[in-house]
Amino acid sequence: MALPLSYSWRSLLARGVRTAFTVMVIALVVVATTLFWSLIASLKRTLVSSGSPQNLVVMRKGATNDGSSQLSLDAFQAIRFFDGIAKDEHGDPLVSPELVVQPFFHRPDGGRENVLVRGVDPVALRVHDEVRIAQGRMFKPSSSEAVVGKSVTGRYQGAALGQELHFGTGTWKVVGILESGGSSFESEVWVDARQLADDAKRSLPYSGFRIRVAPGADMDALARRIADDPRWALQATREIDYYESLSSTANTLYIIVAGLAVLAGIGAMFGATNTMYAAVQARTSEIGTLRALGFSRGAILSAFLAESVMTAAFAFAIGAVVAWALGLGISWAMGGIGFAASTFSTNVVVLRVAPQDLLMPLALAVLIGVFGGLAPAAAAASLRPVEALRKA
Amino acid sequence: MIDLVNVSRLYHRGSDEIHALERVSLHVERQRFVALMGPSGSGKSTLLNVLAGLDRPNSGEVTVAGQHLNDMSEDELAAFRAHTVGFVFQFFNLIPVLSAVENVELPLLLTSLSRAERRQRAETALRVVGLADRGTHRPRELSGGEQQRVAIARSIVTDAELIVADEPTGDLDAKNAEEILSLLQTLRRDFGKTVVIVTHDPRAEKWVDEVIHLDKGILLETRPGGAARAGAAG
Amino acid sequence: MKYLPLVIRNLGRNKLRSLLTGSAIALAIALVCILRTMPAGLDAVLANASANTRISTHNEAGIVYSMPYAYLQKVRGIPGVVAAISWNWFGGAIDVDKGVEFPNFAVDADDFSKVYADWGVPQQQFEDFRKYRDAAMVGHLTLEKHRWKVGDQVTLQSTVYPVSLSFRIVGEIPTSTPSFYFQREYLSQALAAAGVPFDTTGMIWSRVDDPERVNAVMAQIDQMFHNGDAITSSETEKSFVGNFFSGLKQLVTIIEIVAGLVTLCIVFIAANTASMSIRERVAEIAILKAMGFRKQTIFSTLLAEAGLLALVAGLAGAVTAFVLTKLLQRYAAGAGPQLGPLTAFVVSSAILVQAIFISFFIGILSGWVPALGASRRSVAQTLREVF
Repeated sequence: MALPLSYSWRSLLARGVRTAFTVMVIALVVVATTLFWSLIASLKRTLVSSGSPQNLVVMRKGATNDGSSQLSLDAFQAIRFFDGIAKDEHGDPLVSPELVVQPFFHRPDGGRENVLVRGVDPVALRVHDEVRIAQGRMFKPSSSEAVVGKSVTGRYQGAALGQELHFGTGTWKVVGILESGGSSFESEVWVDARQLADDAKRSLPYSGFRIRVAPGADMDALARRIADDPRWALQATREIDYYESLSSTANTLYIIVAGLAVLAGIGAMFGATNTMYAAVQARTSEIGTLRALGFSRGAILSAFLAESVMTAAFAFAIGAVVAWALGLGISWAMGGIGFAASTFSTNVVVLRVAPQDLLMPLALAVLIGVFGGLAPAAAAASLRPVEALRKA
Repeated sequence: MIDLVNVSRLYHRGSDEIHALERVSLHVERQRFVALMGPSGSGKSTLLNVLAGLDRPNSGEVTVAGQHLNDMSEDELAAFRAHTVGFVFQFFNLIPVLSAVENVELPLLLTSLSRAERRQRAETALRVVGLADRGTHRPRELSGGEQQRVAIARSIVTDAELIVADEPTGDLDAKNAEEILSLLQTLRRDFGKTVVIVTHDPRAEKWVDEVIHLDKGILLETRPGGAARAGAAG
Repeated sequence: MKYLPLVIRNLGRNKLRSLLTGSAIALAIALVCILRTMPAGLDAVLANASANTRISTHNEAGIVYSMPYAYLQKVRGIPGVVAAISWNWFGGAIDVDKGVEFPNFAVDADDFSKVYADWGVPQQQFEDFRKYRDAAMVGHLTLEKHRWKVGDQVTLQSTVYPVSLSFRIVGEIPTSTPSFYFQREYLSQALAAAGVPFDTTGMIWSRVDDPERVNAVMAQIDQMFHNGDAITSSETEKSFVGNFFSGLKQLVTIIEIVAGLVTLCIVFIAANTASMSIRERVAEIAILKAMGFRKQTIFSTLLAEAGLLALVAGLAGAVTAFVLTKLLQRYAAGAGPQLGPLTAFVVSSAILVQAIFISFFIGILSGWVPALGASRRSVAQTLREVF
């Protein structure tokens, strides 16, 4: 016969202060862990959501990102007519030649960050179909105009619709704001490719290009053909794989955060064990009575374990809410968090506690509850009724 | 030694008003062994607390060992207790993490004696109660009677004039109880202490000089105890 | 002080509880230390850069914008400039698939030792750097990470230029810079062989003779190139480094928030234990007061208990943090390239000492209320309740 859950619940309430302190300890650990984890997860979400499964990224062989790659014009002109590349309604191949430069942008508080400026032709919007101009319009070629990503607006001086951006050697008028579903394009500024090449005095006009593969065509075959072409040393990767590899650097961060979470979790667990032991000690005669009444050892064990898990679960609930609110607060107060991406530019990450981010902290809380309460619950269960009553 | 004049003590438990002592007057001479007796709730423990400087009356005068306790501040009462009074309680006397001799030494921390002097005094006190060889034992290794004897040793280690004990034999069997009462009498006879105990135990009567009966906070009667009669007879 | 044995014994009253509490606090302190080493890594880099007369000159538009190499000679001619060199980002990778793992630059060998005289590199190593065309000088953190030592041969494939170069490591840089430097001439020859023009540079670093003249020299440099091919912007090394990592400021704020949360955690752990253990001793405390111990004495000894436990735990935590950061430095330093110097895991003695004090004060703080309450309880009241 098991003890009702209300026994565990009421026992917790009876020792209000002690329970409250333990809840605070576990809740704080949950908040700390969730914040860090969500930060990395938000970063990963930004990177991973970038890229279309139908696109290929072509760069110079050996380059790890398009900012450090340089390509010649004839490579572009030859490859765009390869088989397997999608065409638009006029029969022109959907190949977007792009130049990536990372100039200084200045923040209102005086800080300086490298921002990824992408020089593109209008075809870019066709190839990157997840990108759309949410406000204003696309820039006109050769007019020193720019469209800025959603996360860029307000982050830097002059980065707002209608204002003038100063970067590189020139001045650019912001005529549109682009959105891309939260992906890293929202941390970029897009301008006319030729103007950017002039501005940056690049001898080679492009860093790489993005190819929209024709529906049903063999992407890998096309990629191989590009890489194997003896005229140039190129590599071609699926766009989603490209961004996946950029985001993989975040994986080590996950490990660091997980390690810190384990450390914190063990500490909180010790705190929980302490409280449970004291509870067992204080209720020795009560346990003796229960055993005398006929409740089995297993029932006692479960009841105390339930108390411990309930404490942890309650703490998790509080911690999750506080973490979510804190995440909102931080985003509101600090704006996006800038991460130096491996592209040598700034990825602006909006810290957001998403539901799936809470899985790890939940697991942590449950482990704290279970392992924290295990030893004391076992101690309670092993009490002999006669001795327990005598201690009263 | 002890002079109480019209002492009253009233306290609140929850919403109830408890009249623990009602205009009690009491006079105890030096070097007397006195028992305060009476049923539960008679106020005997409260009376003991008042004359030991542990509790303040709401009205009345308290003079112990020539000192007027009414006007003393908390710190002054603490100092008074440290110098003048030795305490023995029914249980919780000894600190479980200290050995017997360390427990006896405890009140001496309030003095300016050196470590060696403190240790020496404590060992002497233990000898008086017959536990010289059990000094290094922890309380849980001692029987109930032995624990009480250690408590008594502690009560005399500062050379206090007044020893108070609240139900010192309450938790003990007959043999141990007799030993404790005998020891307390020795304190009066051989060391010249004034000893006041609170007790339920009717057997205590034959050991004490005076029995003071209380009920419902009122002093009913004072009569000589067995020891006085034996003394008078002898 | 004579009460210290009593305080220590009381901690041994419930050894399991003291151990659990101490361990919890120790872990939390270790965590706080590790977290605080992250911004400290940034501060260390900034501190390194502060006390010198080195200035950087780069294209005003950004360091990915280049300047004509000819600028170097002009800068060297400016009065007050003792020596100047150029940096070109080589983008070399040990394994192209893994990408660039540490910054590497082609620099002018002639003035290198003069510009970086304050690095503490042995003169002989500077000499070797100048002597051998394929010489390389590497920061010690990078050497440790890749288990290289002076004398080793290393090959790097450039991800920016179409060349791969083999180097001989001749020197170790003791500061916290992870960078790898080699001779510009070596790269220049390789590029000439490949038919690639090489007449630009990414940055120029100069040493000024007198700290008072730094501002004037910087102004002069920028003035000189004001109407040139590339407009320059000069700033002190400290300013450059500070700006370079300014993006990390936000991360540091978040790290500090989390560290604060963990510290708060410690308060609750310690307070919980203090209140539990004191509450259990109510009767004992009453008897001590009966014996004549004043409430200030009782208060201080109870407080000392909480403080001592937290202090010892803090010490254990600091030691744990020290050991863990050494491990992290070995295996995970630089692991988060997004975080730059934050993952250098530099634990300074200042952090450890601060942690121990923080722990002690937290112990005192959390024991305050339970100790005060216990010391103030009326003796008579307690005796009434207990007996």
